Amino acid sequence: MSAALKRLRSLSPEVLSPVLFLLAMIGFFLIVPTSQGHPIGSYSIYSVLQTFGTYGLVALALGLTMIAGEFDLSTLGMFALGGMLAVKLGESSAALGIVLVVAIGALAGLIQGALIAFLRLNSMAVTLGGYITMIGLTGTLGHDKSVSYLNVDTAIKLDEPIAEIFSRHSLIVLAAFVLVALLMGFTRLGRAVRAVGGDRKTSRTVGVRVNLVLIGVFTLSGMLAGLAGGLNAYSLATAVTNPGVAPLVFAATAALIGGVTVAGGQGTAAGIAAGALAMSLLQASFGILASPIWVTEIVTGLLLVVAVLLTAPLIRDRIANARQAYESLRARRTAGGID
Amino acid sequence: MSATEHAVMGPGVSRSPLERLSRGDLALLLGAVVVFGVLVYGAVSTQGFLSYGNFKAILASMGIIGIVAVGMSCITISGNLVSVTLGTTVVVTTMLFLAALTFGPVAAIVLTILAGAAVCALQGFLIGGFRANPIIVTIAFGTLQLGLAQRLTNQSTVYPPHDASFRFLAGTVFGLPLSIFVLIAITLALEFWLRRSRLGRESYLVGENLRAARASALRVTPVAVAAFALAGACAAVAGVLLGASQGNATLLTSETYTFQAIAAVLVGGIAITGGKGAIYRTVLGALFIAVVSDMLLLRGYSTGVQVLVRGLVVLAAVVIVQLLAKERA
Amino acid sequence: MSTATSPERLRFQGVCKSYGAVRALADFSLTLRPGEIHALCGHNGAGKSTVVKILAGLVRPDEGQIEIDGAEALARSPQQAQRLGVALVDQEISLIDVLSVADNLMLGSADQPFLNRRRAARSRARDLLRRVGLDSLDPARPVSSLAMGERQLVEIARALGHDAGILILDEPTATLSEAEIGHVFDAVRSVSADGTAVLFVSHRLGEVMELCHSVTVLRDGQLVRTAQTTELDRAELIQLMLGHEPERALRREPPAEEGRGSVTIRGLAIPPRVPGLDLDVRPGEIVALAGQVGCGATDVIRALAGHSSRASGEVRVDGRRLRLGSPGVARAAGLAFLSNDRKSEGLFLGRSVGDNLVATRLKEMSSGGLVLERRVEPVAGRLAASIGLEERRRSAVSELSGGNQQKVFLGRLLEQPGTRLLLLDEPTRGVDVGGRADIHDLVRSAADAGVGVLFASTELDEIFDLADTIVTMFSGRVVAVARRTETSTHRVVSEMTHAPNDREAVA
Repeated sequence: MSAALKRLRSLSPEVLSPVLFLLAMIGFFLIVPTSQGHPIGSYSIYSVLQTFGTYGLVALALGLTMIAGEFDLSTLGMFALGGMLAVKLGESSAALGIVLVVAIGALAGLIQGALIAFLRLNSMAVTLGGYITMIGLTGTLGHDKSVSYLNVDTAIKLDEPIAEIFSRHSLIVLAAFVLVALLMGFTRLGRAVRAVGGDRKTSRTVGVRVNLVLIGVFTLSGMLAGLAGGLNAYSLATAVTNPGVAPLVFAATAALIGGVTVAGGQGTAAGIAAGALAMSLLQASFGILASPIWVTEIVTGLLLVVAVLLTAPLIRDRIANARQAYESLRARRTAGGID
Repeated sequence: MSATEHAVMGPGVSRSPLERLSRGDLALLLGAVVVFGVLVYGAVSTQGFLSYGNFKAILASMGIIGIVAVGMSCITISGNLVSVTLGTTVVVTTMLFLAALTFGPVAAIVLTILAGAAVCALQGFLIGGFRANPIIVTIAFGTLQLGLAQRLTNQSTVYPPHDASFRFLAGTVFGLPLSIFVLIAITLALEFWLRRSRLGRESYLVGENLRAARASALRVTPVAVAAFALAGACAAVAGVLLGASQGNATLLTSETYTFQAIAAVLVGGIAITGGKGAIYRTVLGALFIAVVSDMLLLRGYSTGVQVLVRGLVVLAAVVIVQLLAKERA
Repeated sequence: MSTATSPERLRFQGVCKSYGAVRALADFSLTLRPGEIHALCGHNGAGKSTVVKILAGLVRPDEGQIEIDGAEALARSPQQAQRLGVALVDQEISLIDVLSVADNLMLGSADQPFLNRRRAARSRARDLLRRVGLDSLDPARPVSSLAMGERQLVEIARALGHDAGILILDEPTATLSEAEIGHVFDAVRSVSADGTAVLFVSHRLGEVMELCHSVTVLRDGQLVRTAQTTELDRAELIQLMLGHEPERALRREPPAEEGRGSVTIRGLAIPPRVPGLDLDVRPGEIVALAGQVGCGATDVIRALAGHSSRASGEVRVDGRRLRLGSPGVARAAGLAFLSNDRKSEGLFLGRSVGDNLVATRLKEMSSGGLVLERRVEPVAGRLAASIGLEERRRSAVSELSGGNQQKVFLGRLLEQPGTRLLLLDEPTRGVDVGGRADIHDLVRSAADAGVGVLFASTELDEIFDLADTIVTMFSGRVVAVARRTETSTHRVVSEMTHAPNDREAVA
């Protein structure tokens, strides 16, 4: 027992946070709806994964830029633009539409990344401009109205349950997560991204190609957000002109409880996946309970406040100091016991 | 000797070609010429642009956004980036104002402004006191405000009491909407506060260099609280005027106000990294955006195109400001 | 060296480098043979770091030739230097805190594979760590959890991993314990036995004598002498570094010997470096904490200024106990702090000189929350005049030279009512000679007005120009305390460059 406790304590927050939050949300999902007379079935799990499929990639896109020490607000814009483009460009072939959307997402990310890297611009400012531009482009393409996707078969096929709990939609998203996780975990790119986020100056000194890494991360972010938007539009068979800030709220919360910090350098794709899954479980639970929207919003808001405070530098310092003081006190006590 | 050894601290950071090529002054000059040219061309060639009626329309359209934007500038100047949900505060305070009109217009206005200031001051406290990230904190509080508002209104539209007298707030003075005069008054007040008050001056210092401010024991937390409280108060004033002119309030379109306000701040040339800029520049930024949007509108372009152009203007402004800053450094 | 036929690994021939008007390195020549451990000695500013930077590809020389293994080899970037077979262990630790030890060991290495095979990376990491004596360190641990000494050893392990022909160690032992230094020496000896040429830059003369085969001494950018370490003893080495001792005029009358300290420090402990320190500073007294980088002097200054959350001990200002760990409390108690990093922790670069000078005293100039211009003007004007920048009062600080920037930073601390002690960390870092004299004058006049001064410095000239009392530190401990008039540069250098317990190690 104490060995397990020790092992738990030795885990870094970047591992601990997603594990604990995911476990808590699984517990919530299994217990609360059932206790209210809404038993969990395979359809419930299906809907969890559908939520995950809708917003998961936005969380991954935003989370990756946060690991690199930046913040990509334009994921929100690319999510909207991706939907509109997919509907417009994929009339004949959905697959072609997705490919084009991902390519355009890559281009948008590339431009923003290049501005941020070469001109040393603040990523908030650039991606804010990018966001507004993309929302504008979405409205322009859709003539300020939602556009429906006439290829309804695609929509049905995309969300058709597979093995009861999956759908093509959620499987594609999971595959994208696995791909990025492999890239981050098993190639030297992951190390470079974390290095750039953790300490940019030192990264330059030791020879990491910081500019390339930044451009790469923003390109990837654009691709993922575009893919998310395209898939979402096909699922709904509609592209909306402005999705609001809901995807951003989901993404930021998922990334933070997934062990990513705003300061950068910390977090993994698996952690973001866990965070997104935790958020999906929460939202699905409220869906099953048929709670009004405000419940979800207040719970999400509070969760986000807790997550951001836990990662705030001054609070982290205090926790670290308290830990050290405790350790040294214990060490002194043990030493005293031996005397 | 050692002086020089230290002076060339750090590795020779390689300069990118763009950095070397672009002379900031050239960029500014070029930018100014292009902007001026486009504006003049637009003014002359757009049917109905050069008229008193259109002039009033432009001012009317920028009043409320301008008020939110000058509030936002306080946050940016004090080094706290931006609030990405200040528009939510606008919409929520609109509801509060209409509901509070039962206590009479003056009480409603005071209550609304206090509430707006308080909800943002709390965010400022978390950000300044614990160095929590402003973007995330404001996203969280935006969500909380929305949730609370939905709970209280049951997601329905809020109307004022029948006998409420508030229409004077939506009236005009000298043929111009009241919001413009409020904007001017707030701008003057905030300029005075930033330049003359101790906390205002410290805002610039904290925004310029947080570490130095902490090292020299400046009041970092009060600065953040004050900046956010002022932004919240401005948002609430915008909420009051919005409520008065619309006569009802729903929770839609909150992010429009946020992002238009941020756009005005950035187009005004206020560095997002903080410590620089003046409030009046935000007003100019808002005016510029309003003029361009108006031209596009008169020429029959859709909202989408207007937003698109606004985004591009923001990007251009951000790049130019950075090039200028580099040139001076 | 051993044999005249042995090929040269590295050859510097007539290398010159100037920064503006200042000559950092003049006609410098050096040869290193494979397997040689060569020390580079000299004071701060002697030109050592210029040599290091040229080799590491961080700075380009103005003139001269550099050859590696007989071929022209001028590195234009750190990456290119690495490809030429030069590995650098810098003074400042360049590890990335958030990454694991294994990741840090791989980072920046030119031959890192695209695929990150964790097992292979870890076993390689274990090999490298073993070579610096860190056998039991888990390569998966994040660097942020390591002690300073362990970090330095990991940094050295990374350089070893580059299989370089030339290994540069720039002050590698400043933060290490005796046992750790032993590991570093073992590792250096083993790579040199494998044929790597090692350039060992150090102030620690005992270590130079123990480890190195040969030594080159630099002074004011000039080569003074290259010799075998067996031909010299430490006293001669110090003599070479110092040159002729200049006449030092006593610039001011030190305050009377009697009188209690206005600031008394008892048992000040700052983990991990300073175990416990006692010190008194009397009103009007200028005390130098003299020591090399990493000796703990900076830690003491920062802890007193409230910038160390883990410091403990009894500090009294005019008899009143000071709570440590809060900059605000320290300032209210009358301790004014000058950080050694004026750009990030001192100045508001975009603001004017006047704004910077009054930045910390807006409280006294305000009434009812409003800053009164009629109170600001005279103070800002007087301070600007006293630092000689009256005409530039409205210029942005970023437009000033380093020396003038430092004057603004210092000027901000002067003439504050209630100031008991100035805490200055490297008061003239990055300042030209003229600026340095002005800054010293300012500090002296503050002391003449009755304020105590405690400053940390690594530079002999500064220590002897400014201090009334010199406290030498080594490895976090005080070695000696002496009146400036009763000690000599020779003695101070000797105290600064080796541990108190091995005073007799080299006669």
